[in-house]
Amino acid sequence: MTDMTSPMPHARTDAPDAEGREERRLGFWLTLPAQLLVLFIALFPILMQIYISLTDWSPLDGIPWYRAYELWIGLLNYADLAGDPRFWSALWRTGLVMAICVPVQVLLGLGLAILFVDDFRGKRVLYSTILVPMMVVPAVAGYMFFMLFQSGGPINDLLSMISGQRVTIAWLSDPDLALFAVIVSDIWQWTPLMFLILLAGMVSVPQDQQMAAVLLGASWGRRFRTIVLPRMKTIIIIAVAIRVIENFKVFDNFYIMTGGGPGVATETISIYIYKVTQQELIWGYVAAIALAILIVLSVVSMLAIRKMRKA
Amino acid sequence: MSTIPRFSRRRFLSVAAQTTALAAVASPLYLRPDRARAADGLAQGMTGGPTGFAGAERYQYGPDTPEGRAIEAAKALKATGKAPERIVLGLSDGSIGQITQPFPEGAPSVKELWEAETGIILDIVGVPNGQEFTKVMQDVSTNGGGFDIYAVEWNRLGDLAETGGIVALDDFVATHKPEWDDPERGYVNGEQGVSLLNGYRGSVYGVSLDGDFQTWNHRTDLFGNADEQKAFADQYGYDLAPPTTWKQHDEIAAFFHRPDQGLFGSTDLRNQGWGYTNWYQRYVSMASPNQFLFADDGTALINSEAGWAATQEYVDSLSHHSPDAISWGWPEQYGNFGNGSAAMTCAFSNLPKFLDNPGNEGSKVTGKVGTHLPPGREHADGNARRTVLWLNLTACVSSQSDHPEAAYLLLQWLGSSRIYSWMTANPGGYFDPFQLANFADPLVRETYHAYHMDVVRESVRRTVPTINYPGATAFHNALDENLMAALTGGMSAEQAMANTERQWQRIARRVGEDKLIDAIKANKAAWPTLMDPIAS
Amino acid sequence: MQRSLSFEIFRYTAIALFLALSLIPTAWMLSMAFKPIAEWQSSGVDLTWWPNNPTLDNFRFIFGHSSSDLIVALDRTAGRPILASLLSASFGTAIAMTAGTAAAYGLSRFGFGGNLPLALIQLRLFPPMAVMIPVMIMWAFLGLIDTWWGLALIYGIVTLPFAFWLMKTFFDDMPREIEDAALVEGCSRWRVFLRVTLPMMRPALASSALFVFILNWSDYLIALLLTTRDWVTIPVYMASLSSSMTGQLYGAKAALGLIAAVPPVIMGIAIQKQLVRGLTFGALKE
Repeated sequence: MTDMTSPMPHARTDAPDAEGREERRLGFWLTLPAQLLVLFIALFPILMQIYISLTDWSPLDGIPWYRAYELWIGLLNYADLAGDPRFWSALWRTGLVMAICVPVQVLLGLGLAILFVDDFRGKRVLYSTILVPMMVVPAVAGYMFFMLFQSGGPINDLLSMISGQRVTIAWLSDPDLALFAVIVSDIWQWTPLMFLILLAGMVSVPQDQQMAAVLLGASWGRRFRTIVLPRMKTIIIIAVAIRVIENFKVFDNFYIMTGGGPGVATETISIYIYKVTQQELIWGYVAAIALAILIVLSVVSMLAIRKMRKA
Repeated sequence: MSTIPRFSRRRFLSVAAQTTALAAVASPLYLRPDRARAADGLAQGMTGGPTGFAGAERYQYGPDTPEGRAIEAAKALKATGKAPERIVLGLSDGSIGQITQPFPEGAPSVKELWEAETGIILDIVGVPNGQEFTKVMQDVSTNGGGFDIYAVEWNRLGDLAETGGIVALDDFVATHKPEWDDPERGYVNGEQGVSLLNGYRGSVYGVSLDGDFQTWNHRTDLFGNADEQKAFADQYGYDLAPPTTWKQHDEIAAFFHRPDQGLFGSTDLRNQGWGYTNWYQRYVSMASPNQFLFADDGTALINSEAGWAATQEYVDSLSHHSPDAISWGWPEQYGNFGNGSAAMTCAFSNLPKFLDNPGNEGSKVTGKVGTHLPPGREHADGNARRTVLWLNLTACVSSQSDHPEAAYLLLQWLGSSRIYSWMTANPGGYFDPFQLANFADPLVRETYHAYHMDVVRESVRRTVPTINYPGATAFHNALDENLMAALTGGMSAEQAMANTERQWQRIARRVGEDKLIDAIKANKAAWPTLMDPIAS
Repeated sequence: MQRSLSFEIFRYTAIALFLALSLIPTAWMLSMAFKPIAEWQSSGVDLTWWPNNPTLDNFRFIFGHSSSDLIVALDRTAGRPILASLLSASFGTAIAMTAGTAAAYGLSRFGFGGNLPLALIQLRLFPPMAVMIPVMIMWAFLGLIDTWWGLALIYGIVTLPFAFWLMKTFFDDMPREIEDAALVEGCSRWRVFLRVTLPMMRPALASSALFVFILNWSDYLIALLLTTRDWVTIPVYMASLSSSMTGQLYGAKAALGLIAAVPPVIMGIAIQKQLVRGLTFGALKE
């Protein structure tokens, strides 16, 4: 059990038995609430999803979910899923969004963090200003970007000013541009967090090592490459991991800006499931989607954890 | 129009604010509703109805009316202890005002009147617009039991009836005689109209509380402008007037389409969930009297010349829309039209009520709105002008209700011509007129404008019902998805129709073809056969 | 550290450029919030970047006051949704922080709950949308639909992973000598945790709590599905700000959006110092 924990229980060879028992008791009680919460949210949903995923149950059938066995269809939902182009395209699109958003956010965050690592005039104010988008609720941001990207809206107005001719790009009505627009909103929203995490990592690199390097005459760029960056490997991985995890579920601003449209041009996996759940109401199928995702994610996260422990 | 609707803005505001004692956080707008209801205010021979304003007798009723019977039966239930203390009605937010807001000046609210006459409390739980069906499905599938009455989109009636989540009302209808098909006051098209709006597979499952016949609007200032008329006639060789055919419509829209001046030709919706209302209009008029969606044996007919042509037209029409058309819903459409930025549009029948409204100072089109019949297509025997019924709020009794009869009685009372006319005249919500008595009522004609009311009534006669069979949502989604792909250039018109056909076949299998064929036939029976003369 | 003048120029230019772009949406929200209805139209020829006639009407409007231009009235004001958001996000944060901190300590010190790191990663990875059907059914069964406490419970669960990871890294980093000294003095383990460890962790707790709070405060999807009317939160309520008279109530939305940014900003300012240190996720320990 304990192999996953980094520090082992504090070894106290001289501790009397009573104390060991106290520690065990305390350890048990301390972890209990979290364990119960996890069990609470995992047990019933997983069992129920497994059950109804083997049926053709829809709330439209007029029978409660526990009687879904009347509509038993075995693995048919999974077979359908394998051949459902909309599911695969939503999955692919989610991956595409991730593949663009995450690197851009991390690189922008890293670039900014480098600029903020030492002191300069106005640092405090600029630093706080950069964090502003983090404080805006994503749903609100969705409405703002919806307005910004109207064909007669502010962004086109800006482009018109720059280019000197009237720009009327219909951002949200063109499949490619709409995808671009929602990606912009995601990058806008989350770059500050990446900046914050990476800056935190950077300032924690001990100054004495850097000073030593300065005395040795290393240039700033060299110092960054040889001292700062290697020590930041883990935090960059963590930053990427956080964004990958959160980006995979992206819903709010996308849904508000485009509703997944035009067509399915901005339909991510969450939006796809939302639509199947709320509009098509084939809940047995939704359960199959959920379990397929759960299995994939479990494998991925297990591999990731194993890899991280090795590193 | 001699009198301007007498609802000051302050009233308008105050009423909506009080609708939710629960949610209203100390609103200073809360006005005590006028409690001037008095039995002695009733006209001779009347037993109930609103009082306290001029013309109130039009909405009062005697014992031998649907309203009178409903009230008497509810009282009888109450007397024998079989009535609930309260009836919980789930209703879209935007419509609540018409029930809770007193109208006109001096009247009680609909809710107060019901409570005073029957002693049964009416508890309205608001549901965000567009979320009605979601919330109902939540209640049905989780056995929430939160409502006695659901108000849902009419298209979902079949789906909902199949869930067993709502009860058939036939027995109550037989006992209490709502007289919905009354030739003077009742539904347009009599019995057939009733079965279209309230029925599903031969039983009554709902009570219509709405009239979402999509109607066309245009700007009278633009159409009446002499310079525009001349320029148009020079260019197209006929006089500028509201279009009677799709060809004219597209030409006029193209003529007025001036995006650089902030004016779009026509802004009927093109977004998901709505755009197909225009596709429908173009498609069903392809044959005389109608181009159907399905043959009687359940075969889809859309993957055909008619379907391809309609789809192509629909796609081409984007050229006179806002570039953002695909992402615009009705709030953007209303906002844009109110801002004077469109020459024509197609919308709920309430658009003139909201935007051609002296009380709406934000509107730039007050006094400049005209309405016209849907454009059509000329065939040998006439012009097939068609529009669609889409959405339309319909109230159903939940099978989880402990008091279905009392719930039904409330609906009979609300949905009958006298109370409904009074309620729909109220500008505070989305319940739109649909009964003959509504169209003729002076108060309704004031709110909705006389010029509009006759057009709506005539549009109703030319209205094709959208899909209301089980699987309606899935059918519409499949159509929507493919039309959207065609609109955004991802698919040709032919491909879009072929894909839709294939998806429809799959859905039909899932729903069960026997159920479907019944429902298709019932739906078809309600399609109009009226053909307009071809203008020379 | 001295940098060259050219670097300084580059630094200010780069930051200025970034801010110029990143502030556009916020500036737009700020501007919209104070625009009268006549200037709302975000499209078209009469686009205004800055309110010509700034007004507080939008703010007054969402709290139920009429204004000279807004003809429509709300049938509920923003007060209750703000309360719902505050209650559900705060208590959700409390649940996540309590359970997360305790579990992190239990694992870090006593090796209990070795399954938690993986289980919690999976919990966080999983799109909430995919389990909303069973959750809806559970919540309905437990009578938690449309309650702020029901929302707080699910928020507490979905943000538990972040609370756990953040706190665990701090506990792992914390030197044990201080705790040991207290133990030698005869304090019980539990007492040491409450009286010695937690107070030392105050900065860590503060920054973790802020992060968790922002996540909860931002939610739209879960509240959309688990609330119906009485306890809808700010983002869900915002979706209903539209009307037949005026279309989307953009100004009102922006005003509410501005208000919604206030709690995170206040919390952010309050713990500004700890913010940077708090988000290293322990990645820098030796």
